[in-house]
Amino acid sequence: MTREEFEKNRRRFGDDIDAWPAPLRGPALAFMALDGDAGADGALDRLVRQAALVEGDDRALAREVMARIERGAARPSLLPRFLVAPAGLAACTAAVLVAATVAGYQVARLQDQPQDSELLALAAGARLADDGGSAIAADPGEGDPL
Amino acid sequence: MSCAVRNDASNGDEELLARIAAGGQAALSELMARHGRGLRTFATRYLGHAADAEDVVQEVFVTVWKQAARFDPGRGRASTWLYRITANRCIDQRRRRALRTFFGLDDIGEEPAAPEANAETATAARQELAIVRDGLSRLPERQRMALLLRAVGELDITAIAQVMGASTGSVEQLLVRGRRALRDHLADAARGRERKSS
Repeated sequence: MTREEFEKNRRRFGDDIDAWPAPLRGPALAFMALDGDAGADGALDRLVRQAALVEGDDRALAREVMARIERGAARPSLLPRFLVAPAGLAACTAAVLVAATVAGYQVARLQDQPQDSELLALAAGARLADDGGSAIAADPGEGDPL
Repeated sequence: MSCAVRNDASNGDEELLARIAAGGQAALSELMARHGRGLRTFATRYLGHAADAEDVVQEVFVTVWKQAARFDPGRGRASTWLYRITANRCIDQRRRRALRTFFGLDDIGEEPAAPEANAETATAARQELAIVRDGLSRLPERQRMALLLRAVGELDITAIAQVMGASTGSVEQLLVRGRRALRDHLADAARGRERKSS
């Protein structure tokens, strides 16, 4: 719609665009939205509202919702909804990771203890067993003839 | 005047939620009659998929039925609460669909909610609206959400910020950018039509 057409229609149908014939409203709002006047944002919002409008069956919606509510009341979910939502899944994954990390540290600590004692013994001058076993050889001085 | 009407409607919504919390199914039906269309429009245009949007809106009202007692009028209007639930469900739905598409379980792309007008067959008015719909569908998700909440939900900046979990400043930015992109799209289409006719 050009400015001339818009002004002509305004003189004919008045300032209120909603009172204009339906086929002229969209182009008029588009013209106003692009015009850059103070009401341009409002015109664009109205144009978006008109364009976005979706027809639907409100009664069918009500029926479906009531049916879902009745189904939900009859068969409660085994899993809390929180656990199947993305946030719940993320929280569960984080909890499993933390638990695995803690468990890993505990196992590693238990395994490290003999190694620590071996290293201490080595530092004190003891020999490690040749077969790589965990046993520490006797004190090198022990049993040697004086 | 319109502000007074809106306040009355808002109070009415709060009363309905109180009755729903007390187990009133008739109140839920009335709330659906008031907001079902707006929520469906918002979800359809945000998701670009009518069946998903229908599913989301049903889920929203089931949630309202279960959690109406949790609505706190001191924290915002009932419509803001409804749109917040809807926006969150839409985001979840989008993630589910993206995941299904990623694993090859779902090849269906965007399913337009209504047939888009063809330039040759539609009237000028329909063309204009189809161009706006096309422009909307091309906007980045958050700009589209902000614009739809403003235009369809008729929420103010503060309410949009509550729904989107963003600051009012960033909502203003989203609206400015979204409107600019939509205007550019409309202007491009108008120029294209002029070239065609000349």
